[in-house]
Amino acid sequence: MNVNPILLEVFKNRFSSISEEMGVTLNRTAFSPNIKERRDFSCAVFDEDGEMVAQAAHIPVHLGSMPMSVKSAISSCDLKPGDMVMLNDPYKGGTHLPDITIVAPVFIKGDKPSFYVANRAHHSDVGGMTAGSMPLSTSIFQEGIIIPPVKIMENDKIDEKLMQFLLNNVRTPVEREGDFAAQVMANITGIKRIKELVEKYSEETVCFYASALMEYSEKITKNTIENIPDGKYTFEDFMDDDGTTNDKIPVKVNLTIKGDKVELDFLDSGDQVAGSVNAVYSITLSAVLYVFRALTEENIPTNAGCLRPIKVKTKKGTIVDAEFPSAVAGGNVETSQRIVDTILGALSEAIPDKVCAAGQGTMNNIAIGGFDKRKNSPFTYYETLGGGMGASNENHGESAVHSHMTNTLNTPVEALEYSYPFLVTEYSIRKNSGGEGKFKGGNGLVREIKLLADAEVSVLSERRLFPPYGLCGGKPGKCGKNIIISGKIRKEMPGKFHAELKANDIIRIETPGGGGYGEIRVNKSHK
Amino acid sequence: MEIVGVDTGGTFTDFIYKSGKRWGVFKHLSTPENPAEAVLSGLKKVLQDEKFQIVHGSTVATNAILERKGANTALITNKKFEDIFEIGRQNRSELYNLKYRRENMLVPATLRFGLNCRINVDGEEIEPFDEQEARSIIAKLKQAEVESVAVCFLFSYLNPSHEIQMAKLLSEAEIPFSLSHKVLSEFREYERTSTTVVNAYVSPKMKRYITYITNNIEGNELRIMQSNGGSISADTAMEESVRTILSGPAGGAVGAYEIAKKAGFDKIITFDMGGTSTDVALLDGGLPLTMESTISNFPVKVPMIDIHTVGAGGGSIAYIDKGGSLKVGPESAGADPGPICYGKGNDITVTDANLFLGRLVPENFLGGNMKLNTNKLKKSFEEMAKEIKMGPNDVAEGILAVANTAMERAIRVISVERGHNPQEFALFSFGGAGGMHAVSLARLLKIPKVIIPMNPGILSAIGMLMADLIKDYSLTVMLKNESISRDEIDNRFVPIQEKAYDEMALEGFNKEDVIIDRYLDMRYQGQSYEILVPYKGDFVDEFHKLHEQNYGYCNKNKSVEVVNIRLRARGVPEKPVFEKIQKGTEKPESKVCLGSQNVVFDGETHRTSLYDRNKLKSGNVIEGAAIILEYSSTIVLPPYSKAEVDDYGNLIIDTEGGDNER
Repeated sequence: MNVNPILLEVFKNRFSSISEEMGVTLNRTAFSPNIKERRDFSCAVFDEDGEMVAQAAHIPVHLGSMPMSVKSAISSCDLKPGDMVMLNDPYKGGTHLPDITIVAPVFIKGDKPSFYVANRAHHSDVGGMTAGSMPLSTSIFQEGIIIPPVKIMENDKIDEKLMQFLLNNVRTPVEREGDFAAQVMANITGIKRIKELVEKYSEETVCFYASALMEYSEKITKNTIENIPDGKYTFEDFMDDDGTTNDKIPVKVNLTIKGDKVELDFLDSGDQVAGSVNAVYSITLSAVLYVFRALTEENIPTNAGCLRPIKVKTKKGTIVDAEFPSAVAGGNVETSQRIVDTILGALSEAIPDKVCAAGQGTMNNIAIGGFDKRKNSPFTYYETLGGGMGASNENHGESAVHSHMTNTLNTPVEALEYSYPFLVTEYSIRKNSGGEGKFKGGNGLVREIKLLADAEVSVLSERRLFPPYGLCGGKPGKCGKNIIISGKIRKEMPGKFHAELKANDIIRIETPGGGGYGEIRVNKSHK
Repeated sequence: MEIVGVDTGGTFTDFIYKSGKRWGVFKHLSTPENPAEAVLSGLKKVLQDEKFQIVHGSTVATNAILERKGANTALITNKKFEDIFEIGRQNRSELYNLKYRRENMLVPATLRFGLNCRINVDGEEIEPFDEQEARSIIAKLKQAEVESVAVCFLFSYLNPSHEIQMAKLLSEAEIPFSLSHKVLSEFREYERTSTTVVNAYVSPKMKRYITYITNNIEGNELRIMQSNGGSISADTAMEESVRTILSGPAGGAVGAYEIAKKAGFDKIITFDMGGTSTDVALLDGGLPLTMESTISNFPVKVPMIDIHTVGAGGGSIAYIDKGGSLKVGPESAGADPGPICYGKGNDITVTDANLFLGRLVPENFLGGNMKLNTNKLKKSFEEMAKEIKMGPNDVAEGILAVANTAMERAIRVISVERGHNPQEFALFSFGGAGGMHAVSLARLLKIPKVIIPMNPGILSAIGMLMADLIKDYSLTVMLKNESISRDEIDNRFVPIQEKAYDEMALEGFNKEDVIIDRYLDMRYQGQSYEILVPYKGDFVDEFHKLHEQNYGYCNKNKSVEVVNIRLRARGVPEKPVFEKIQKGTEKPESKVCLGSQNVVFDGETHRTSLYDRNKLKSGNVIEGAAIILEYSSTIVLPPYSKAEVDDYGNLIIDTEGGDNER
């Protein structure tokens, strides 16, 4: 079969509409605000080998890691029609425990699946030592329930025993059950649509174009790499600390461009740490994939082909390739951002016009849990906060927005106060926090919440010590701040902390600004 | 009755009128600098001594936003929440853009003012309105020569007292304003703020525009089309201009609904293909509403007819991308330079592909007023064909296939993704280019019937004449479990209903002539999306049913919430009646046939007859392959399809109904 340019375009549309439609189903049917309001999930379609064919543009940090989940599900379970596999084990294809993936095989004929569909959603509670399941942990066992690849559904029926077992291990079982059902529904939608596609075009044609689309994305990614001057580029940036000690953690990349291929060597990055900011390999891969996808000017399908010209080297037991049983809750959300900063920093030497200065470089994870007396029920709130984006050669960085590896929505103030015993006392742009430069870095934001009930608060944030860098003479953005106000006492907290707070205490988060770009031109006649 | 519908479009302003028994239709070139010129010059042709009722769909509000030419607008909100309008939902609309910037704000940071005052989630005042500070803000507004002010305080829909106090001061200072609890009495502060700002931003301009027109048509009555599918008095439109945004497509949907109903179809998917984009909507026995519209990425949460738009139309440009894939759009050749066949362009467009395959008749475009140029086409298609090693005809058919795929996807979004099976619907096609694609598109979706009305090019203007006068009201009530009872809900509706009767009286409708429809926005507790449920009978059961239909499941054991209550007040104005056309035989008279030409379908050339639509009579049947020509559109019947003319002149096409079995 030869690639027909018309069918190639038609299939591009068809595959991406399948993953998008899965996303619509998941979003519409989910229960928890984190999935519904904030859209913290991703959906994708895979070929018979678990190679990604198409992913709906939802959350970049899931990009490189979804295929590993699918491959892990394939190798661990003997899949039959009507089965679905659930997993979150970061050491078996997951990223961090709140991200639970459900994989479903698509059988056309014969006893081997011809395709897979999968979706991943961030559950704001998977048990563990603190509400919100984003703890300042030192071992994965503190972070929640670890789900190895296991059949949650067999022969079209949910395994109720397993489900009860899972729900018994979380703080908000009703919400979880609703979200799981939504994830299953999303896969059912995906299976149905793939079967319709095969019916229309034949299995052979659909499989052929699945791989043609990977070659298509590979070709364009290669073209993008070719346009970067050959050479070796190095950059090092730091994580503030791991939450248990004050030691900074280096993330370093040696990036080599040769023709249409690129190698990223992270071997000089720091060792894995006791705290929870360890990233498993799949996260590092996601960060790399994100950067090259962003450098590609065409709107190509994000699939396995994008990774083919890219080689990523890491060493086991490091901050970018952590080993069991190190704690990983924050690796997904925090370290992933620093890996992106590091790669963009290295590329800024080669293509300063194509990249931007460092963005806020953190997701400012905040989790609050307790008991709501008004409603007579426990509550868990989890949210991430936007900040400044880095400036570029063309414009200022955007303010108060999520950058790079995440793109979740906020929870509206009015929705928040309906759902939780909170009074929001400030939600604004943090003035003058972006780095100076010819183009200014974007400003961070301020979110201040007064608790109306006793609650435990966990904050996992970065860029409280090492500011987001500027580029080409631009100044760095301001570091973020975490503050607790109890009556008249105002206390600045570290980047990562856990605290038991009382009603009327206030938690205030100021997120970092982005780095500036280019020197500020001084008019000499005024000197 | 004397009545005229006027629809302002990008290129043409369309007029349809009825004076005595006489119907008339014409187009004037639009005058984008001052749209009122085209409107008034057209009206001058129509208006006579008798009093006319004019219904007008205007693009003034829409364009004020798109071109950022609205009023110098300020925003007053709670202190420390001034930036909510800029922060939005904290996400970015382009995931992979390292240089991403938001759309330009309608209110700059310097004109966003915070005031000390706060209402809490229970509607209680926990910090009083600071009048002194409010006065100092007003002084700053004067200094900045602010023309319009949006006022939006947290939880104002539960307790509007602070917004009302602010309004009093603004009235004293004679500064026009929009209050959030009046514009949109619903929770979620960003969406409410955005809707209120949009209203404040466009209202002054709309007021000037409407005043100018009314001053020039004295003695006649002017109504303005809204995006909810209803019209409203000119006075109300000046106050609630946000409700007129995107009203043109709404007119089309109303027209399609009324004409289809008359033709015996109550389940239709509308398909309006224009030069740069295509609008689709799903009508399941009524006009579909959405509360989730945006303009320029700003949410506008007033009810609008749920119309989905894709960037593919007749002018969409086809090209081969770096990866060897054939792409169509979203770039469009527009009207200038236009498609290659218009004479100036160099890029192949969808229209060129249609012409190249013989699906357009070059001598007959726009009734022969514009001759299409076929000379350059062959060379262009041969070049592209060589590039991808295919035949020129295959390239042209491929371009149509890719364009149809984009439109098919749009229809899937509004049907399959929302739990509807498109095969149960008829495709109602209008707009200039729709008739060439409708049957092929219907086949992709296995839709059995296509309807093409008379004058498909001016359907929006027709729809405006068919529209009811409509006012929509809503209020967030957030009722849970035990508080959900008919008594409680009825009580909540009482003040809204009284307000509706009062306001409808001002629109000229007595209480007994007002039709009230009541709805609830419901969800399962913990969800954050609401479903619109008619408030009648067992509404909780109806909610479960609709949830099942939309999302594939329901859970009758789970508690539900009533988030918002909605009320729609309708008045039915006198509407024109369509008359039946002359009856004919199954076989059209020979004078209807204008000749024949070669047309390519699925790689084969078919000798295809050309028919003149204006001479068709009811009962006439035409089998594909055929082309039916009229002033504003060309209708292509591929082989194996069959069209029948109904009593009102609509073409009802059976997509697989030709005699020759496949």
